[in-house]
Amino acid sequence: MARMARKDIGEIRGIIARAKRLDVIFGVVGVLALGLGLLTFATLFVDMALDGYSRLTPDFFTEFPSRHAERAGILSAWVGTTLVMLVTACVAVPLSVAAGIYLEEYAPRNWITDIIEINIANLAGVPSIIYGLLALGLFVYEFNLGQSILTAGLTLALLILPVVIVATREAIRSIPSHIREGAYALGATKWQVVQHHILPYSMGGIMTGVIIGMARAIGETAPIITIGALTFIAFLPASPVTGTFPFLSFEWLQSPFTVMPIQIFNWTSRPDPNFHANAAAAGFVLVLMTLIMNGLAIWLRYRIRRNIKW
Amino acid sequence: MPHSEHFSKQYDSDLEDVRSRVLQMGGVVEAQILAAIECFSSGDTERMTEVTDTELRVNAYEVDIDDLCVHIVARRQPAARDLRLIMGVSKAVTDLERMGDEAEKITRMARLIHERKGPQIPLQAEVRRSGDLAVAQLRHALDAMARLDPDEAERIISEDALIDTEFRGILRQLITFMMEDPRTISTALEIIWVAKAIERIGDHAKNIAEQVIYIVRGTDVRHTGKERRHGVADEEH
Amino acid sequence: MAEPKPALDTLPLKARASALDFYYGDFQALKKIDMPIYEKRVTALIGPSGCGKSTFLRCFNRMHDLYPGNRYVGEISLHPDNVNLLDKSVDPIEVRMRLSMVFQKPNPFPKTIFENVAYGLRVRGVNRRAVLEEKVEEALRAAALWNEVKDRLQDMAFNLSGGQQQRLCIARALATEPEILLFDEPTSALDPIATASIEELITELKQRVTILIVTHNMQQAARVSDFTAYMYIGELVEFGWTDDIFIKPKNPQTEAYITGRFG
Repeated sequence: MARMARKDIGEIRGIIARAKRLDVIFGVVGVLALGLGLLTFATLFVDMALDGYSRLTPDFFTEFPSRHAERAGILSAWVGTTLVMLVTACVAVPLSVAAGIYLEEYAPRNWITDIIEINIANLAGVPSIIYGLLALGLFVYEFNLGQSILTAGLTLALLILPVVIVATREAIRSIPSHIREGAYALGATKWQVVQHHILPYSMGGIMTGVIIGMARAIGETAPIITIGALTFIAFLPASPVTGTFPFLSFEWLQSPFTVMPIQIFNWTSRPDPNFHANAAAAGFVLVLMTLIMNGLAIWLRYRIRRNIKW
Repeated sequence: MPHSEHFSKQYDSDLEDVRSRVLQMGGVVEAQILAAIECFSSGDTERMTEVTDTELRVNAYEVDIDDLCVHIVARRQPAARDLRLIMGVSKAVTDLERMGDEAEKITRMARLIHERKGPQIPLQAEVRRSGDLAVAQLRHALDAMARLDPDEAERIISEDALIDTEFRGILRQLITFMMEDPRTISTALEIIWVAKAIERIGDHAKNIAEQVIYIVRGTDVRHTGKERRHGVADEEH
Repeated sequence: MAEPKPALDTLPLKARASALDFYYGDFQALKKIDMPIYEKRVTALIGPSGCGKSTFLRCFNRMHDLYPGNRYVGEISLHPDNVNLLDKSVDPIEVRMRLSMVFQKPNPFPKTIFENVAYGLRVRGVNRRAVLEEKVEEALRAAALWNEVKDRLQDMAFNLSGGQQQRLCIARALATEPEILLFDEPTSALDPIATASIEELITELKQRVTILIVTHNMQQAARVSDFTAYMYIGELVEFGWTDDIFIKPKNPQTEAYITGRFG
């Protein structure tokens, strides 16, 4: 202490200046790293937009694929993608939320739970093609669900399940224990705590996880090809809404389909450069869809979190 | 008593400061009383002014110590024995200050007695003995306070009766003087004031002893008989 | 010392811990605690960190049951019906419906002020608006918060100040008319003014409910409680009238603690 006090003020200023220089250096490195990533993405995106600009007409969205590049559209692809995502969401959300809640709130702390947890972490790292193989064996051949929207939806649901489970658990864990204890102390049962507190307060985090998982699933190609999605399809699945009672139809679930990434893959593998423009346009739409989903995730999180504070 | 120390060294030294100042004040008062009794015997007017001057010092001590106590209460919220020490000390200080007042009263009476021409009353020895007893009581009370010794304090309380007896003896003798020669009445009345002051000094010494018992044992022995003095407060509840 | 203290055996008993041991796994956190809780009195638990005072408090509403590996031995009997709260056959939820708790950090739910106070009633199946409104108002009045929030019951609870939030939590705990109100260091996260208002509230509340409070702040125990228990490493060192503990404690350990000396 005494030696500190005797130290010349100039020397102290020197030390501070040296330490601050490191601050500045790191700041610059950080900006560069960030810029590199963003710039790469922006270049790709702009390049795609420029390449596909001529094809981005309303017709592009309402036309089926065609042998003539200038008449081809992405109607069957975006409808297929939308429907597959719908199935994925409907399956993945309840399953993973239930699993996440079980693991956080109900599961006893023992080796079985530990093994389950390790496996969930591992599942998140399994290559997506493996999911495709699994789905081919299980859904297509074993359960005879065919090479359908249902199969694709289930496959992608499996794929994003670990991601959403982890997101759910993180969201639940971020609820402070004193809030939970407060509810228990008032005499609430476990389910009442989950229903009245855990679920509402973690909904923002869960939804974010779901959407980020979906944004990953929307771009998946490998498992969808594996289960046998068509690359060229000139009809739409049966409409989910019908004119006669009960006004809902689930026929579309069994329908063959294609999705955006497959359509893009198909076009890029053709020699005619006009199709490459189509691929760029479709790629631009796909990236846009992903961005919109991420934007939705941010907006939802903001909306829900605004009412939650501790 | 305080074998162990507080976490706060400052608190320890504050409490120690209070205690040592009380003892210093006690020493000053003791000297003042001795001087007052000396004045009564000798009529030395120089010593009389000395007693009056000391009175100012005693008053300053009282204000000073009370101020310290208030500060400790405000800043430390003393509890248990610390709380009792502060309360006890604060009351003992009042007693000491009153003793100083009594000493001054003695010198005032001594001045009147010695300035008056006329028949004297030869009771110097008796008053002196009673005064010495009172000073001894005070000295023991201060010792008990210094050592926080409740047994010594109990002895002081029981010995207060001796001073009371002395006082009644002086009173009886004064009555006979006054009946024999009415010219002595004025002087006799002044000697009664002196004797009464000495008796009060004894009472104050006893009060200090009672505070010592309260500080150490937590038992309030004021206005109680001897049997209540032996730390029986625990059975109160 | 203002009023004469009645003899302990004439006071009505609300609860009593008898030979209570508590284990976190293999670690024994409470050792043979024997202590009475007197009805409509404030009992303060004091002691250094880790002495087991919070652990003891959380035995009363079986909060330890929420976490695995915790074990009770001995009993806490609740009077007048003399049921052992710790018995395996007694559902912890039933216990928590009878005793309420206020936590260290104000923990209102991220819901409206109204829903926070009504929550305990909703859990008990009360859903009639009129009943809820009446009970919520009563609880908020009892918690000295009604006048501040009566015009904004539908505001989110986290918009209240820290002290108001804690009073809201007290209202929430009171709404279900608990037999004992447990406070776990209720002012440790609050500023001195909010602390004073909570302390004042506790003093008022003892008219209607038995209170057990854990506090780090000895002066707080001295200010609000009728009885004080001093605990040290899992043991109850001394229990008695707060006046006695703070003026002439019997145990030198207690004295060392409350006077801030090395024990």
